[in-house]
Amino acid sequence: MLPVALAVVAALLFAQGMVRLRQRGRADIAGWDRAALFGLGLAVTVVALVGPLDRLAETKYLSVHMLQHVLIGDLAPALMVVAVRGPLLVFLLPAQVLAPLARSARLRAVLSTALQPRIAFGLWAANLAIWHVPYLYDLALRHDSVHYFEHACWVVTGLIVWTLLVDPGSHRRLTVGGRIALAAAMFAAGQVLTDVLVFSFHPLYPAYPGRTDQQLAGIAMMAEQIVTLGTLAFVLLRPRMRAARLVHA
Amino acid sequence: MSPTDFSFEPAYIVVAVVAAAAYAWAARGDRPSRLRVASFATGAFLVAAALNSPLETIAAKRLLLVHLLQNALVADIAPALVLLGLTPAMKTWLTRHGASRIRARWAILAWLAAWYGTHLAGFYNWALDTGWALNIEHGLLIAGGLLFWWPLVSGRLSAPPALAYLGAGFVASSFLGLAFIFSSHPFYSFYEHAPRLWGFSAIRDQNLGGIAMNGEQTLVFLVAIGWYVSRLLAEESAQER
Repeated sequence: MLPVALAVVAALLFAQGMVRLRQRGRADIAGWDRAALFGLGLAVTVVALVGPLDRLAETKYLSVHMLQHVLIGDLAPALMVVAVRGPLLVFLLPAQVLAPLARSARLRAVLSTALQPRIAFGLWAANLAIWHVPYLYDLALRHDSVHYFEHACWVVTGLIVWTLLVDPGSHRRLTVGGRIALAAAMFAAGQVLTDVLVFSFHPLYPAYPGRTDQQLAGIAMMAEQIVTLGTLAFVLLRPRMRAARLVHA
Repeated sequence: MSPTDFSFEPAYIVVAVVAAAAYAWAARGDRPSRLRVASFATGAFLVAAALNSPLETIAAKRLLLVHLLQNALVADIAPALVLLGLTPAMKTWLTRHGASRIRARWAILAWLAAWYGTHLAGFYNWALDTGWALNIEHGLLIAGGLLFWWPLVSGRLSAPPALAYLGAGFVASSFLGLAFIFSSHPFYSFYEHAPRLWGFSAIRDQNLGGIAMNGEQTLVFLVAIGWYVSRLLAEESAQER
């Protein structure tokens, strides 16, 4: 029930931030579309971690387990980060909480380090690689605490890279080209895992003996990345494609 | 026929020789760098060697895996290398003589039509049964590949549309390889009845063929995407300066 409790806390924080902004007459940057996106992100996380999907992931299908990971580590963070871009990001925490956090030099140092593009990508790729080592995968399935930690790693690394990709606070840590490069690097890294799963003729994880299931797990990863990173690349490149067309004309 | 025997599609030896002669003639007034010459020569060699060697024997008589690998070579890698070997003056000449009419959106459709169309069971079995029709299959794949890579190599597309073009091509073409990988029955009756090689069953042969095809395409497209991402970054840093 921990995921539901955390989702409720996140929903309450988002709601108070949205209400405060709307009370200041800024409904234009705290619209219902943002609430829908954030709600969708939370719903994706909760559906992935609680209920039948989680049972199937833990007991039967590697492909469902992979789907669960990419939903909580990629799609859900993407939706939530897109939802809070702009001033909403600052209003997400009440002033009484935000002020001491913002004054904490250690927290700021940790965040600014984690949000350096190379470190962020390294963390994300390491998380992807480490949790797919068969021994660790098996360990997480056998111990709930390790499994919770694994899921927390997916969510945190997902939030870090999507913060760089979407840039909700307009910090401009990366240019548009840099964001495309990060997305391409993430896709290439994901593709390595996809290829290992799809091209392997023997089951890699003892808990999941099906070869087709394993190949489907690879495809689930690739398909989800194509949807999320592909959408991001399209949104980022579209204005430049228009500009290029105008120059050509 | 032993798998190590040579088989020939002589038309493609002629094509490679004529292309090399035309290149040498065009290079008289516009000397290409060694890298360009190597690229063009490797592309032409890949076409000639893939279709005139034991590879052709195994592809046309024994294993779908090798046939799909051969197709990926002549449709993806060889055309890209041939076009990368052209000098700017050669590309300008081609542009003036009809290549300017090649639009990216039609080129990608033509490439996909060649890619999927030539792998339809009816066409594939017919080409293998007749033997001579393999020339048509490979001709379509080479032409499709040249059309696909031209908008990129000619410089018509700047980095952003080129990335979109490559992304669309990668996604749209990947379904064929995936169909081979996940299939549980052979698509081509020809290979069902062909003498087996290296102990592969017909279905394992087909699954491996899909893996080879997808692996090759992933590699080629990621390299191309990486190249255009680096160009995008270079353009941005030039604008900043």
